[in-house]
Amino acid sequence: MLWTHKILWIATLVSAFAFLGMTVDSLHRMSASTHADQLSAQVIEGKRVWQHYDCNDCHTILGIGAYYAPDVTKSYSQRGAPWLRKFLENPAAMYPSGRQMPNFHLSSAQIDSLVAYLGWVSRIDTNGWPPSPEGVTPAEDAQRAAGGELAGSKIYLAQGCNACHTIQGSGGTIAPDLTHVGSRRNKSWILAQINDPRRINAQSVMPSFAQLPESAKQQLVDYLDSLK
Amino acid sequence: MRYKSQRIAREYLLAALMLFLLQVVFGILNIAKYIWGYDPLLNVIPFNVSRAIHINLLVFWLLLALMGATYYMVADELKTEIYSAKLGRLQLGILLLSGVAAIVGYLFQWNFGMPFLEQPTVIKLAIVVAALIFLANIGLTMFKNHHTLTRMTATLLGGMVMLAVMFLFGIPFMDNLSTQYYYWWWVIHLWVEGAWELIAASLVGWALIKVTGVSRRRIEGWVFAEVCLVLLTGIIGTGHHYYWIGTPHYWLWWGAIFSAAEPIPILMMLVDTVRHMLGARTLRSVNTLGLAWLGASAFVHFMGAGVWGFGQTLPQINRWTHGTQITASHGHFAFWGAYGMLAIALMYVILPELSGRDTEHGGKVGFTAFVSLNFSMIFMVMALLIAGIIQVYFQRVMGMEYLQVQSYMRMWYAVVLVAGSIFFVGTVLVLSDLLRLSRPIRTAEHVSEPEPETVPGD
Ligand code: HEC
Ligand code: HEC
Ligand code: HEM
Ligand code: HEM
Ligand SMILES: [Fe+2]
Repeated sequence: MLWTHKILWIATLVSAFAFLGMTVDSLHRMSASTHADQLSAQVIEGKRVWQHYDCNDCHTILGIGAYYAPDVTKSYSQRGAPWLRKFLENPAAMYPSGRQMPNFHLSSAQIDSLVAYLGWVSRIDTNGWPPSPEGVTPAEDAQRAAGGELAGSKIYLAQGCNACHTIQGSGGTIAPDLTHVGSRRNKSWILAQINDPRRINAQSVMPSFAQLPESAKQQLVDYLDSLK
Repeated sequence: MRYKSQRIAREYLLAALMLFLLQVVFGILNIAKYIWGYDPLLNVIPFNVSRAIHINLLVFWLLLALMGATYYMVADELKTEIYSAKLGRLQLGILLLSGVAAIVGYLFQWNFGMPFLEQPTVIKLAIVVAALIFLANIGLTMFKNHHTLTRMTATLLGGMVMLAVMFLFGIPFMDNLSTQYYYWWWVIHLWVEGAWELIAASLVGWALIKVTGVSRRRIEGWVFAEVCLVLLTGIIGTGHHYYWIGTPHYWLWWGAIFSAAEPIPILMMLVDTVRHMLGARTLRSVNTLGLAWLGASAFVHFMGAGVWGFGQTLPQINRWTHGTQITASHGHFAFWGAYGMLAIALMYVILPELSGRDTEHGGKVGFTAFVSLNFSMIFMVMALLIAGIIQVYFQRVMGMEYLQVQSYMRMWYAVVLVAGSIFFVGTVLVLSDLLRLSRPIRTAEHVSEPEPETVPGD
């Protein structure tokens, strides 16, 4: 064997052992960074449901998987548990148009464990990924223009109103454009629509958001009312 | 062909070709689902199922091709029959059955649920059995001929053993998603940037000796150095997948530094291949298409893995591009260049040798296939790259909604569909050309007694 080959061979072996050492250290630290103590039976069951339906071949999670559907790493912290529950019961009710997620007819126990699982995932320390955007969304832009606080537009996005509604050209097309909703509806009317969309149109596809906290509903109403 | 048992290579390679065609069909189905939001097959073959089938078939046909080529090469190098051709056929049978069972299972939600490793555990165990049969068969052939063992065959065996061992880490269910993904990368990354590179480097070395007539000594020294460098950079380079999955922060350093060096051995392979190919100009008779695919493979391997991979491997960039269509662009380019094109090159070297057909001038169909496959793939990965850049900018930098941004990318998905359709035509052409080349001609020195034709893969 040439001496250069010998050196290369030894260096390769050393790197393999270093990698094993780093693996031991990483696994040790990961029990803290992933909150392994919070891996309850329900969370683990949620992971089983996630794998059983092969959700990962449409979605990325921790940025790994397929690119056909949104990354779900932070879905829990962005959307909240009630929204996720409602969505998983019937995805088409929340996103009626465009690319579809199949309705798996999950049992409520399966949905609860999936939500617990997504909650656990959202708390993993991911070294700051995904990065927070540097731009401003159309909904936030609209609110800035209206001189309001950003809270309302954030809730609008987090609750997925834009899956159906459009503001300033951005969003879904199956529901009325809300760019100027404040000029045609007043606050109490909007609040009523959020609480019970079926009160006027019994066939409305808009889901009820009555379960949101009162303060959040108020911010949402203030925001929409400011869009003149 | 000198050894009867080498004929099993033909069965492996033809099975691989059929599965390649099927893989491409599912690729087209995937991209169609991307383009048209309304999916009539939503409850029959939803996207996750068609994607699982697409990428399983990919890995499957490549492995069949590499294993078939290995059987051929080991007999050729050691100048011997394979230990047992029967075992080779048994192994192929187990693999094909497992593959069919897996794909049918996906349609009925029988699924392990990790990308690329969707096969339910029972099927994974069957695959392990097949791998053990393979290793035993090759290992015993080498053991019985250890006095003629070459460095190239030893490297190949090393790669195959590593491949089998890494697969084991993909089998268990782990409670912790981060740990599950930690080991998942031991299969995915340590395969394509480790074990498979060893296998590829030794098969390329062997094929180069065959088609360019370069001396063994010159090739073997290089292959050894390249293989060491692949492992030296690639093992710790796994860290480029440990930036954001709940793993410690130090991987941002280790992963970046080591993976950034991964293109070096790949560049060495390219330089090496080109040098030896230039030497082939002096030969009287050249396997034109075999040589073309080998050379082009070295180049696209470097572009797809080396350049596209390097482009997103530093954490400052990967933070924005992680898990977008840019990854898909790289995945297609690298898999195609490093392993898809290599598999086809090996078929062009091995199948005519088995059948005794003339390879001198290539032929129109073969060249049309070569051009259409490679240009359409480049076209496709460029479209995916542009789609990915749009995605990173609007979704990650500007913070727009995922689905909203997908609608901006739609035009580029349409380009992928057009390129993919050309690619499909190329696949049919290369298939028919290779089928033609693999049909035995019966002459005195070819001892191919009639045998029931096996049509595997359907
Ligand atoms: C066939 C592909 C597909 C499969 C399989 C799939 N999804 Fe989805 N999912 C989607 C799409 C597309 C969306 C975007 C919203 C829509 O159109 O319904 C989505 C949206 C979501 C969302 C909302 C994400 C957000 O933050 O806006 C969650 C949560 C989710 N899916 C969870 C799951 C779970 C859990 C599974 C497995 C049980 C699953 N998905 C399986 C395609 C899929
Ligand atoms: C699944 C689709 C969907 C979602 C999600 C949705 N909506 Fe609606 N929304 C509709 C439809 C459709 C209408 C038209 C009236 C009807 O059929 O009820 C509507 C009407 C409205 C109106 C009355 C507009 C007008 O000018 O008459 C307001 C205000 C409104 N939605 C607010 C919201 C808010 C706030 C959210 C999020 C918390 C939301 N919507 C989520 C579908 C949706
Ligand atoms: C032949 C070699 C290679 C093949 C076949 C290959 C293939 C792939 C595939 C399929 C993925 C996606 C995995 C997933 O599903 O998430 C991927 C990801 C990645 N590859 Fe490669 N690759 C190769 C070489 C390289 C090299 C040499 C580098 C670096 C220099 C590299 C850097 C990356 C990075 C950084 C990712 C992660 C992308 C992300 O964050 O989403 N690859 N590769
Ligand atoms: C007609 C040709 C093809 C088309 C239209 C096509 C399309 C697609 C699509 C749409 C996906 C899903 C991307 C996602 O995860 O969301 C995919 C995945 C993939 N395909 Fe193809 N494909 C084709 C051929 C090929 C070929 C020839 C190869 C390899 C040689 C290949 C390798 C892959 C890989 C590795 C993935 C997983 C990518 C990743 O995880 O990043 N495909 N393909
Ligand atoms: Fe990698």
